[in-house]
Amino acid sequence: MLLMRVTLPRKLSLGLCLLLALSAREISAQSYQGRELVKATLLADTSAVVPGKPFTAGLLLRMAPGWHTYWKFSGDAGLPTEIKWKLAPGWKAGEIEWPIPLKTNDPGDIQTYGYQDEVLLMQEITPPPVIDDSVVKLTEEVNWLVCEKICIPGSANLQLELPKSTTSAAANTELFARYRRLLPQNWPGSNVATANWSRAGSDLHLTVTSAAVANYPSADFYPLPQGNTIVGHPKVQSRKPNEIVFRIPIESADKNLLSMQGLIVFAQRENGSDRVAWRLASPAIASAVGSAPARGTITFLFFGFLGGLILNLMPCVLPVISLKIFGFIQQAGQSRQKVLRSGLAFVAGIFVWFIGLALLLIALKAAGREITWAFQFTNAYFVLFMSVVVLVFALNLFGVFEISLPQTTTRGLLGATERKGEAGSFFQGVFATILATPCTAPFLGTALGFAFSQSPAIILSMFLAIAAGMSAPYLLLCARPAWLRFLPRPGPWMLHAKQFMGFLLLATLLFLLYVLGAQRGLEGAIWASCFLLIVSMACWMKGAFFSPVASGKAKMIAGATMSILLLAGAVYFIGDKFSAAKIGPGESQLPGDWQAFTPERLQAELAQGRSVFVDFTAAWCLTCKFNEKSVLESAAVREAFQRHGVVKLKADWTSGDPAITKLLQQFGRPGVPLYVLYPGKSEEPIVFPELLTKSIILDKLENISPTVASQ
Amino acid sequence: MNTKPILTILGSLAATAVLAIDLPPVGSAAPDFSLPDAKGKPHSLSEYKGKYVVLEWFNPECPFVKKHYGGGNMQKLQEQYTSKGVVWLTIDSNAPGTEGNLSPEQAEKVANAWKTKQTALLLDPEGKAGRAYGAKNTPNMVIINPEGKIVYEGAIDSKATPNPGDIPSSTNYVKVALDESLSGKPISNPTTKPYGCSVKYK
Repeated sequence: MLLMRVTLPRKLSLGLCLLLALSAREISAQSYQGRELVKATLLADTSAVVPGKPFTAGLLLRMAPGWHTYWKFSGDAGLPTEIKWKLAPGWKAGEIEWPIPLKTNDPGDIQTYGYQDEVLLMQEITPPPVIDDSVVKLTEEVNWLVCEKICIPGSANLQLELPKSTTSAAANTELFARYRRLLPQNWPGSNVATANWSRAGSDLHLTVTSAAVANYPSADFYPLPQGNTIVGHPKVQSRKPNEIVFRIPIESADKNLLSMQGLIVFAQRENGSDRVAWRLASPAIASAVGSAPARGTITFLFFGFLGGLILNLMPCVLPVISLKIFGFIQQAGQSRQKVLRSGLAFVAGIFVWFIGLALLLIALKAAGREITWAFQFTNAYFVLFMSVVVLVFALNLFGVFEISLPQTTTRGLLGATERKGEAGSFFQGVFATILATPCTAPFLGTALGFAFSQSPAIILSMFLAIAAGMSAPYLLLCARPAWLRFLPRPGPWMLHAKQFMGFLLLATLLFLLYVLGAQRGLEGAIWASCFLLIVSMACWMKGAFFSPVASGKAKMIAGATMSILLLAGAVYFIGDKFSAAKIGPGESQLPGDWQAFTPERLQAELAQGRSVFVDFTAAWCLTCKFNEKSVLESAAVREAFQRHGVVKLKADWTSGDPAITKLLQQFGRPGVPLYVLYPGKSEEPIVFPELLTKSIILDKLENISPTVASQ
Repeated sequence: MNTKPILTILGSLAATAVLAIDLPPVGSAAPDFSLPDAKGKPHSLSEYKGKYVVLEWFNPECPFVKKHYGGGNMQKLQEQYTSKGVVWLTIDSNAPGTEGNLSPEQAEKVANAWKTKQTALLLDPEGKAGRAYGAKNTPNMVIINPEGKIVYEGAIDSKATPNPGDIPSSTNYVKVALDESLSGKPISNPTTKPYGCSVKYK
């Protein structure tokens, strides 16, 4: 590297030349292999220094075409330009005022922030109140890195000479004015724009709400990470007319980082010369951090509670809940204490399950596993196990057999009947909650999405809130048993109602078998059903031959037969047949014009300039099925997709495909459903709400039509 | 609604739930690759399983790389740790036609001229290994443990400058991480922000 001293500037205006002649300065040029790469000039916005009156000094860097220097945060490569002033005592230099940089993307997903052609880095200089010399000499050492295909470091010692005077005139007006326009503005008042931060896993989410958003097709967040924070590439997560959400991945381990300094950059197009920016500085962030998350947590806990309350009405749980209500009705005439004990046991069952689930999630999270809601339903054996439980309960309701908990072991300390009642209530609570999980995703999705990214304590609180919500009605009945009288009186109708509930459970079983079919194909569902048949027979034998009145010998034979049947059935149908069952070649075909999602296919379609819609779904996700039938497969939406040439991909998460799990997490979702429209390669994906409507889809499709039409 | 029992239960349960689980740094599995050295001999990561492996992204034209090779800093590290059984793979992921891309002949020349001491200097003109690791800079350092998990990713040291004069006063993260690993301690600083030139991918 070579430093050359050039005496006369070239492309400066006549007026500027005059001023330059008046105030001597140093210009420095960096050359590389005979080419001038960077010319550095030190300038001031004043013709003279007035003691005590601040002025602005500017380092003008002119880069050869194609070469660039870097912003305060250089991005994935490069280094910011450094300025070290050598000022006499009493003089002060302010921070560098960095103009809004350009964002560059290079192959290999390398993103940098910098300046091409020319940049002026301004700093406020405050002279002391008394200056002895008649001519002021200010010196600075500058270091920069200039890159094109290769990077070359450069440096210069620059000097600015200005006369001391009692008055001063403006100098280099046009240049300074041009770069002042390119400086980021301070954050406007909260009546103009608000910024809210939240943390979701390893991502920060920044929501900017302002009417100004609508005026600029291009909006971006340029991060200014502090300390050891490593930031990924910020992306626009979603956009509404007056709201934009940025997703900012944090790659370093600072789990407590809740916000970041940076610029919100607006322009008509990316890197446009009309770009303007708001500076998101520490004070604005501090206030956001102070209030928002605290309120956020309580709000989300409230939603958790509400979600838990609503769970009682879900079709998944209703049959079990009804059982409990029966219990209450039966107990209406009994002692208050007994009612209370049974109710609390039921509630304890609910809490134990949720606490267990929370602890499991915390443990999995600690182990670094990818966690998602309803994840247990992606496991075919779990679904099978639930099928068995549901069937056994249904047969019990039909009166095929009675559930008798091991009385011999519990008889003693407490009355046997009491113990039986409480243990039964407890397991009903657990059972109700297990069944509830697939129904909860749409209602609790938001709250859980929040919770999964939080500390173990918050995850646990969240699950406790849901448990509390679900238990609330029973706790209420326990606390005010008198209100039980609003429930109908016991009578023979109860037997019929009980049997009717059995059919509801069988309907649940059908749903579970459907899920199994989606996971393991028709064969898998049939083998599972074979095993269920064996289970039914065992239940029948239990009712018919294992009754308390049967002789010991009959019991022994029945018990042995049942055990052998169950064991043989499990080994043959499950261990052998079911475990080997795969989805048959004809079964995995997707409906109509849908194609199976793979990350590669998504990239390939986008690379060809097509818009892509991805439906993240699962066989056990009822909300997904509802959305698909009522919206995605409706004639209007199908026609619109076709007209806009949108490629439709189905991401089937029924068996928990890890590639899909990863993408779900990128969108901050713990589970399905998720609907995303990628309008094109360079545009940010649009995320739709979990409950779709035709109009939402049609609106967004109309908006992307210009892009599509131009291709 | 009488919420007292709910609040009592919620409160007492929440009170016992003061948990502080510190999450361990998550080490993902290191993607395997197979790349030729200057003599055309292929080296794959899997063949070094059971050993600590250092990956170093390289560009002989890059001032940040020159910073560490000019005064022998990088060679010294390579020598010190390969003698302790660590495998050191230097990778050039720059695409043909960019500065820093090396033909086999050029690679041999640079290695001889600079007296490099790595296990192998590998050529990755397609950028496959570079992209698999998301290597964006030269130098960009990765350490893989004997189980094949990434345990360190980031810069060579703490001072992001091209100035060799800064080496003595900076903390060498790779040295610290290797010393900690080899003595069975957890790595205190498993992720840092790499600095340097960008890798010139195809």
